[in-house]
Amino acid sequence: MQTSYPGRWLIVDLSSETIHREYIPPKTLEQFLGGRGIGAKLLWNLVSADTDPLGEDNAFIIAPGVLSGTSAPCSGRTTLLAKSPATGHYLKSNIGGQLGIALKLAGVDGIVFTGKAKRPVYLAITPDQWQLNPADDLWGQGVRTTTNLLKKRHGADAEVVCIGPAGERLVQFAAVMTSYYNAAARGGIGAVMGSKNLKALVIDPRFGKLEIADPDGFTRAVKKARDLLYSDSIAQDLHKFGTARDVDLLNELRILPSYNFQKSHITGEMRRISGRAWPELGYLKSIVGCGGCIYSCHRFTRIDAGKYAGTYSGGPEYETVASFGSGCGILDPEPVFVANALCNDLGLDTISTGGVIQWAMESIQRGALTREDVDGLDLSFGNGDAVIEMVKKIGYREGFGDLLADGVARAAEQIGRDSEKWAVHARGLEQSRVEIRGAYAYALAFAVNPRGPDHLHSECLAEFGGTKEGIALIKRLTGDEKYAIPNTEDKRAEIVRWHEDIYAVSDALGLCAFTTTAAYSLQEELIAELLKTATGITLTGSSLMQTGKRILTLERCFNLRDGLCPEKEDKLPWRIMHESQPDLPGGGEPITPERLKRMLSEYYRLHGWDNQGMPKKATLDALDLAFTLPQLSAAYSKCSNSKENTDYN
Amino acid sequence: MLACSLAKEGAFSLPLSRIRIIRHEEIAEFTPKVCVQCSDASCITACPVGALSRNADTGAINLDRDACMGCRQCVTACPYGGVQFDPIRNIPLICDLCGGAPACVEACQLPQAIRYVQYASKEA
Repeated sequence: MQTSYPGRWLIVDLSSETIHREYIPPKTLEQFLGGRGIGAKLLWNLVSADTDPLGEDNAFIIAPGVLSGTSAPCSGRTTLLAKSPATGHYLKSNIGGQLGIALKLAGVDGIVFTGKAKRPVYLAITPDQWQLNPADDLWGQGVRTTTNLLKKRHGADAEVVCIGPAGERLVQFAAVMTSYYNAAARGGIGAVMGSKNLKALVIDPRFGKLEIADPDGFTRAVKKARDLLYSDSIAQDLHKFGTARDVDLLNELRILPSYNFQKSHITGEMRRISGRAWPELGYLKSIVGCGGCIYSCHRFTRIDAGKYAGTYSGGPEYETVASFGSGCGILDPEPVFVANALCNDLGLDTISTGGVIQWAMESIQRGALTREDVDGLDLSFGNGDAVIEMVKKIGYREGFGDLLADGVARAAEQIGRDSEKWAVHARGLEQSRVEIRGAYAYALAFAVNPRGPDHLHSECLAEFGGTKEGIALIKRLTGDEKYAIPNTEDKRAEIVRWHEDIYAVSDALGLCAFTTTAAYSLQEELIAELLKTATGITLTGSSLMQTGKRILTLERCFNLRDGLCPEKEDKLPWRIMHESQPDLPGGGEPITPERLKRMLSEYYRLHGWDNQGMPKKATLDALDLAFTLPQLSAAYSKCSNSKENTDYN
Repeated sequence: MLACSLAKEGAFSLPLSRIRIIRHEEIAEFTPKVCVQCSDASCITACPVGALSRNADTGAINLDRDACMGCRQCVTACPYGGVQFDPIRNIPLICDLCGGAPACVEACQLPQAIRYVQYASKEA
């Protein structure tokens, strides 16, 4: 039977500049599917507790989803994986654009890079052909120029994936970029590419062909999925106004992180930084979708007049607006667009870049840093030009930017003076710009996210009760729609558990998380039908969710093997755990360690983990993860005092 | 393109799609090339063997594969670049509106960049 997913991988050893093809055994494919799932399994095998994230021994994995390259709605997403330079532990970072389709049509179900090239190289792929080429002329170039040069060389329809100057300089939050403006942003995945002297990949998918198991059945399942997604409450708005559409509404509701989380709303005329205003203000030039997308939530914006005239780029997204707009106290959208365009070209994560700059701004405000310390820039909240200058300094590691480029945790450690208290990170990853002190499922999900505190592991949007689909889901999960309110501890563990399973499934299949955890239209049974008709892999809805659980349990084991004890590491930024946010409706009490512990304990129980957050042996057995046990014994003796686990040692 | 190639060829392939998109992603400019169902279709006129004809029900151009000899006159004649060519089977790929339920329209309901509207014949 033809399937959309035969498991054809490329193994590229950069040190010896050799490439060979390897086939993943069907059993492994069925257990871990594609994307984040198979990626996590391969990463587990390829690295160890001793692996240096920026060393030759780290692996860099590119894994499109099982359904990528097909017409399944919003299925073009790819997961990139490595050991994270930011946290030193597990990292997956998801990317859109045309990459997933290009790889799958070129007959590549995934790529593993190991070692380090002696000089800058890029990998060129056409169906059934691949080779490493010198990239000396590309090294030092921005993302736009690199992409244009490679398209000139390999054809306009070739897809380019690359890093910018930030990745080359090992900025700890450097992104990998594709289709010019799509980023795998988080955790420093771009620095991993840079550390391997791997500047880019270029993929020409034109003459490839992808067949599926049951075209008629697949067409029917796709139609069902599309109809549900089109009629979802968020569909029209997401398409018309993008992810930043509700920045003004969030401000009105007083849940918009502002001034480095010191406040949750920003005063003054701020509607202009909301995506809803950009069409009428003339900034929005085009609406763009990733390959395979039926929603098209990306923006393309340009500034036509004034001192920033001529700036154009994809985005900005919500997180970028909260990062460089309200977070930096900026009400003018234009500096936000400029900072966004710079990050896209330098190859920087906008969340972390904005996060470290906000930390520096608050350090100035509190006297922990002086203007001289920050290269003479006036880094007061609200100063757009200073933010723009600092973005460049970070990307090129110049002056004070060199310190910020190491991430907010290391910067705060170096500067001291209590600045860790407003370094809004946990385990070294800057938190995404979501105010979680009034949203407890979000808070719990952030605390247990293996890569650090952000929303891209289990986005629990339903807890806000903002759409009828979200409310219906909460009722299904908890038995009562009254739990569709965010500031209660009740039922949060149940809500997080469902979201993290479906999110892992989405990532493994290449589905955009918006189809399953924002639009709640695409649910277990229908996803199983898409999978079956595309690949012939038959899983029920619940066994599919079990696969999701297997993936994220393996991710937890990954960090355990590194010696992270959950009881200490399942945590949130200091500010979130110790300071209240009086702006918030209801007073915005901190997510105190005690409150978090209560939610964690229920969460651990639902997972079948012990009360220290260590997976029980029976749980690992049930998930076919017993292969992890030999490498976990040190962690169990270090972290667990539970009697249940004595048989591990 | 993916929905099209699945509907017409039973597999996903960019060159086998009846649609082409000229992409200028840097400035987010996308120009689709597809049969626009001209009322005076130059491809029909250009065909030396009469392999192309108009379907009376849908108004779409139909191809008689047996008659076609693969000369590509239709490809060059189309002013919109709407006729693609499959060099393996040696036949043109022209949109036939999927017999009245175009797969691409179904896949493009939010932007509605492609809509299916009623064909008005010249006589009507």
